[in-house]
Amino acid sequence: MSALVQSLRVVGYSARNAAADFAATYTWRSWTFGWVGRMLSQVVFFTLAGRVLGAPDQARSRFIGNAVMTCVVEAMMVVASSVWERRAGTLPLLVASPADLAPVFFGRSLQWIASGVATSSIALLALGPLFGIDWTAVQIPAVVLLQLLTAVGSYCFGLVLGVLVLNAPQLRNIASNVAYLAMMSFCGIQVPVDYWPAPIRLLAAVLPVTYGVRAMTALSAGGPAGAVWRPAAAVLLLGAGWLAAAFVAFRVFAERGRRDGSLEFGQ
Amino acid sequence: MTTVRTMHMAELVRAVRTFAASFRLQCLMMRRSPGDLAVLVTAPFFSLMFLSMTEQADRSALAPYAVAAPVLIAVWSMSLFVAGDLISKERGNGTLEGLVATPASLSVMVLGRICAAVTLSVFAFVETWLVAWLCFGVVVRLPHPLALLATLATTLLAMAGTATMMAAVFVLARSARIFQNTLSYPVYLLAGVLVPVSFLPGWLRPFTRVVFLSWCAGLLRDSLARPDIPDLPGRLTAVLVLGAAGFGAGRLLMRRVLWRVRVLGTLGQA
Repeated sequence: MSALVQSLRVVGYSARNAAADFAATYTWRSWTFGWVGRMLSQVVFFTLAGRVLGAPDQARSRFIGNAVMTCVVEAMMVVASSVWERRAGTLPLLVASPADLAPVFFGRSLQWIASGVATSSIALLALGPLFGIDWTAVQIPAVVLLQLLTAVGSYCFGLVLGVLVLNAPQLRNIASNVAYLAMMSFCGIQVPVDYWPAPIRLLAAVLPVTYGVRAMTALSAGGPAGAVWRPAAAVLLLGAGWLAAAFVAFRVFAERGRRDGSLEFGQ
Repeated sequence: MTTVRTMHMAELVRAVRTFAASFRLQCLMMRRSPGDLAVLVTAPFFSLMFLSMTEQADRSALAPYAVAAPVLIAVWSMSLFVAGDLISKERGNGTLEGLVATPASLSVMVLGRICAAVTLSVFAFVETWLVAWLCFGVVVRLPHPLALLATLATTLLAMAGTATMMAAVFVLARSARIFQNTLSYPVYLLAGVLVPVSFLPGWLRPFTRVVFLSWCAGLLRDSLARPDIPDLPGRLTAVLVLGAAGFGAGRLLMRRVLWRVRVLGTLGQA
């Protein structure tokens, strides 16, 4: 129990760094008109692309998928911001401290989840009516909760990727971009998952966003409760699985770094 | 008269040398930095997304749209990335002051480096064409190869010119990354990179005519699909004129910005 409390305390301290990092990156103007404007344009771009190129019967799910993706895109920035610690030279100090690396890194990029959920909420609730998707007041808490789940689940997946590129910092942006573009391609955002061959369907099956989008689409269509909570539970389970994998990966990374001295001098 | 001509000639030779040296430097730097080639890794994913939409909806005739858009996205992203990182990296390395102190024009140096990066980004066309063929069995014909080459070449030049203007703005910016992010999808929408501008609200359409990328998008799609390309020379000229205007504005802006940061002593500060 005390280990859990200690880990949560570390996450809290690290989250304060995340908030400071966010405040140093954006002003409220650059976030609202720069970042949010950009993400809303992305949703409109892909939704209209679907109108020009794609099947008309998927317009609804395509809008929802692309709107939910905005929080996932931002959650995947955990890959880059985890690698910033190497550039800042803090890795050896973190490894030398009594705390595990995983809680530190879990808290260190939480700003992306907060910003991502805010952005995708604006996309779903403000842009939705323009594309024929209306929400009732009762649905709004569920909309926010589903985005939060999807963002956290994807963030945990991003943490695992972050550990993998900690030793190849120059690949941080490629890794996060490829990860979210692969999700946009294969996880039922632009075309149904069934369209793709079996190995790709298998990949989509282990990514939280696949189920997050499914739950949000069912919620917007006013489907039965089971059609919403079952995929939502899958997001939760997969997120927990990726978080466990991230804990193991950070331990292996720290142990290996201690042994071969690559913590400070890795390329 | 002859002396004046000789001086102009000497200036031109110096500019060409600066351009060539910067072009070469950028190529060498990109060889050592795989992260700079990210657009060549991401372009196939854009074509996968667009082509999966057309194929799933049985709209193979729209494949040229799906092939052209990722190329323009790659060219725009690469130039934004290089224009933004170029100044901030020089600033971070502490070499920006040294660069400004040399007799070579900073605008020409920036143009040379961006040209090198943008030229590499055209390989996205080969990638997207191969994705269409290998993943979807769609062979996108090239009915107007010369028009296609001319379109790609003018797009590169116009892009490099416009990016020079963006680099000048980035000298003043606190964080170029915010500008880089902001100027992506809004521009893709405004330029009709994939979605024709007829889908945009009426009041926005006149603005698209001054975005060089909108001319490139139309030309690229026409050179891949249509039986004939209406007013090819006029449209190519429009791309070049807009690109030249961007470079001219970039030079002017760079001169003013550099003067301001020299006076304030903030050249090396973000």
